[in-house]
Amino acid sequence: MTDTTKLPKGGVNPPVELPGPRDPGIANAALPNRATIPLLQHAGRPAIRLVRPGDVVSEGMLVGKPDGPRSAAVHSSVPGVVAEIREITLATGERCEALEIDLGGSFETSGRPRAPRPWENLPRADLLERIRSAGVVGLGGEGVPTHLKLSPPPAGSCSLLAANGLDCEPSLGADDALLREKPAEIIEGLRICQLLLLPARTVIAVSERSADLVQELQRLVQRAGMNTSVVALPARYPQGHEQLVVAALEGRPPSSDPSSVALNVATLLAVYEAVVLEKPLIERVLTVTGSTVAHPRNLKVRLGTRVGDLLDECGGDLAGTGKVVMGGPMRGVSVATLDLPVTKRTLGIVTFSTVEARTPQETACIRCGACIEVCPWGLQPTRLFKLIRMGEEAKAGREGLARCTECGCCSYACPSRIPLSAILGEGRRRIVGVRNGGGSHG
Amino acid sequence: MAESIRHAGPGDPATSAAPHLRVRMSTSRMAWLASLSLLPAAAWGIVLFGLPALIVLVVSIASAAAAEAAATLPRGKVTLGDGSAFFTGLLVALLMPAGVPAYVPAAASAFGILVVKQSFGGLGRNWMNPAMGGVVFALLSWPGLLSQWAAPLGSAAANAAVPPLEALRAALAAPGPRDATPLAVLARAGYGFSGLDSAAVGWVNSHVLAPLGTRLQPGTLDVLIGHVAGGIGSTCAPLLLAGAAFLLTFGVIRWHLPVFYIGTFGLLAFVFGGLGTGQGWLAGGPLFQVLSGSLVLAAFYAAPDPVTSPLMNTGKCILGAALGVLTFFLRFFGSLGDGVAAAIVLGNCISPLLDRWMERRKVQELGQGVA
Amino acid sequence: MDTVSSRTREAPLVMLLLTLVPSIAVAVRVADALWLAAGAVLVMTGSSVARAILDGARPAGTPETGTPAADGPGEEDRTARWLRALVISSLLTAAFEAGLLAVAPAASAALGIYAPLLAVNLLVAGKGGPDPSGASPLRATLSSLRNGAWFAGGLVAIALAREVLGAGTITLFPVSGFGGTITLSPLLDQPVRALGFAGGGLLCLGYLVAAVRAVLARKGSAAPRAEASR
Repeated sequence: MTDTTKLPKGGVNPPVELPGPRDPGIANAALPNRATIPLLQHAGRPAIRLVRPGDVVSEGMLVGKPDGPRSAAVHSSVPGVVAEIREITLATGERCEALEIDLGGSFETSGRPRAPRPWENLPRADLLERIRSAGVVGLGGEGVPTHLKLSPPPAGSCSLLAANGLDCEPSLGADDALLREKPAEIIEGLRICQLLLLPARTVIAVSERSADLVQELQRLVQRAGMNTSVVALPARYPQGHEQLVVAALEGRPPSSDPSSVALNVATLLAVYEAVVLEKPLIERVLTVTGSTVAHPRNLKVRLGTRVGDLLDECGGDLAGTGKVVMGGPMRGVSVATLDLPVTKRTLGIVTFSTVEARTPQETACIRCGACIEVCPWGLQPTRLFKLIRMGEEAKAGREGLARCTECGCCSYACPSRIPLSAILGEGRRRIVGVRNGGGSHG
Repeated sequence: MAESIRHAGPGDPATSAAPHLRVRMSTSRMAWLASLSLLPAAAWGIVLFGLPALIVLVVSIASAAAAEAAATLPRGKVTLGDGSAFFTGLLVALLMPAGVPAYVPAAASAFGILVVKQSFGGLGRNWMNPAMGGVVFALLSWPGLLSQWAAPLGSAAANAAVPPLEALRAALAAPGPRDATPLAVLARAGYGFSGLDSAAVGWVNSHVLAPLGTRLQPGTLDVLIGHVAGGIGSTCAPLLLAGAAFLLTFGVIRWHLPVFYIGTFGLLAFVFGGLGTGQGWLAGGPLFQVLSGSLVLAAFYAAPDPVTSPLMNTGKCILGAALGVLTFFLRFFGSLGDGVAAAIVLGNCISPLLDRWMERRKVQELGQGVA
Repeated sequence: MDTVSSRTREAPLVMLLLTLVPSIAVAVRVADALWLAAGAVLVMTGSSVARAILDGARPAGTPETGTPAADGPGEEDRTARWLRALVISSLLTAAFEAGLLAVAPAASAALGIYAPLLAVNLLVAGKGGPDPSGASPLRATLSSLRNGAWFAGGLVAIALAREVLGAGTITLFPVSGFGGTITLSPLLDQPVRALGFAGGGLLCLGYLVAAVRAVLARKGSAAPRAEASR
């Protein structure tokens, strides 16, 4: 039986043997002895470095200021001393400066609960400034600076604000865990965003698998006096994608429509912490899992923690591991070294055994049509990839290539193991890059 | 301090493109599953026709394999492992009469692999179904040999070596009263069915149906289970349907094309089939027509070949209907046997056109969503 | 007329009908193929020699007609040349037909309409009209003979394959004591009839063209001209 079903259109159900976290709760990861803080943890220009080697930094101190509007602030996640500055290559292939901070000194803020600051009467500009200065970016993987997304639009133009409680990728469970552990804070963050965007409609979307959350969330929403509904969406991949959540809630085909805004619940929590607790973004929740991980779990991790250390903490069997992926199993990037740090854009860490990691041999396209059936955006990968391979990206662009989000459903479903989403993504970058002059990904 | 991960295998890099999960079904697995699902029908053919059937099977598959090896060796990689040549050879054999000289299936398979498939670029690049192309080649080259059918083993009845369809045609060509059902016509013409059939049908008639006031025609069991002359693997519908169900479950084929094919053909046969032979409207005997010849085999195994059938389900439905229409005309008003192989080859010709229409429609649908 | 000829050459369907179909229809028996090839060579050579003589040879290096400077003959003159060429090739074709009817009436019957069609074929292939290259009669003869050899070779190859496999015989010319038909008995019982049909002919033609192109590509020379594929 092929693991593919309709989404409202397309989508796949990867096999359930993929292990998810056994305990839906969130554990605290150990603090890194040496944190690597890249100055590029978001979509946009890298932050401008403010410290030098030898400087003493405190927990939550600003170490990189935004470089222009399409950039975000970077803070130190641990107290200590800046040991060195080096250039690193991130998992995505981008290169940037990173601060190596040796842990030391006292923890001023963690462990001590922060007092909530009043915010309801603040003007919008101040709210946005709190969000911006805390370095809040979208925590669903893309890392778009949140203050940009929440900038007050022309009156009445935001039709939908959605809180995306669906984990984007199969076997990742961080968003779900956050909804269970901190629903009130997330809803408060949602309320802040409501104030900023004034949407016609607000919805909290959760996965069908967590339908038990709906009642609790509705209760909290009512208590907060918010005009918000709670909806359970199918648990298929890639339903958790921003465009598909909006499409499912609005009952129309997916598109990148700016009048609908979807924010990850982790981002909403960061918004709450930034506005109400005035706490900068220095940690995030992610899922560590894989067939060679003895204790897969959700962890709250300080940004800059080394991937290898997290795997050790979760009982990862490195000898039997053939591939380590930062992100999720469908869109994550496989890494060649475990020395990379967790950043704001890291959704999870997934390992694959040496058997699972074998790259399958690509064979000829047999025109089975599976890729067309599963594409949630209604594209025809079998046709597009042939056009791209022939050098006809422009023609592919006229057939919808720009809509491709590299969700990976087509590659997943292809029995000939053609790397469709990689080819489509490469082709898309060629045409979109040419159009925008090499701008950042949205 | 960079710690590297152990590589997955010699020369296999530790990094690869997303996604890192794939469906378990692969192209070669699909082809081998298809061959596997044909084995029951092939086994039945051997049981029914004996050693000659086995020889035809072996020769056909060997010829297809040899042709594939010969064609792909110069390109560096012999692709026998993907199972498609084996399947082509098997399918060609199942459509042949059991007593046919060995060079016929050998030539048909070789033609299918060398000319129809490899000359156009190999797997995935052919526009004609290789097995059907080979069968049509054989039909055109040796029409006499391909209409000499073998009698089922142990069948001493009259006309045992004539498939029911041919016998029906002959019987209807002769003057005489026009009965309602094909089986009745055959009975009147003295077509002999097996002893098992007489026993079973007799038993059912006397014990079950007599109180109800109806009766089964003699020959019902024979036709249903395929104990008649015909292609080696194309007579036994139940085994073929079982194999097809197996393939449908695994998603190797989709239901759209076969259902529309058989449905359209059955409907046309029912409504118009009796016209040419003077039996009138709505008198075509659809069940008999569907079970005769190689329709079931072709509808589930040859037509839904992914390479030559339309990409999208709507296209598959349309092609299925078109194939039904073509088979109807070729069988009832044509001269080339049961019309199936030629219909599929013609259908292969219109399949790309259907694809083009469907592709355009799908791209237009994209434009209707918000940009 | 030049434009008619060149435009026709650009229409693939017309080219197919005019050039492929007669050749395939005829190339079922070796003897017929040989006769048609002979006729083509005769008409082609005769036409080009006559053209060379009548139109006048030009020294090598002179620009071709079409450029204003070298366009000595005017418009009416070109029409006159075309008419002359047409008449010549038609005369030659008629002569060939008549000769064939006298010498080998069976072959004449087999060739049927395709013998006179030679004239049209040659026109369309650009060999019947005025020759812009201005070659001398000798060069014209040799060039036509070479084209004819290609044509004959291809036609005979196809006919050989189709007759041997498709009918189990090889039909040649009756010479004293030899009936004219070689039979290959194993194939005669159940030949591969599909090759005798037009589809089989196209198949043989396609593979022949592919083989020739592959060999020539390996040798590095240009692809064979249209005649070889007829």
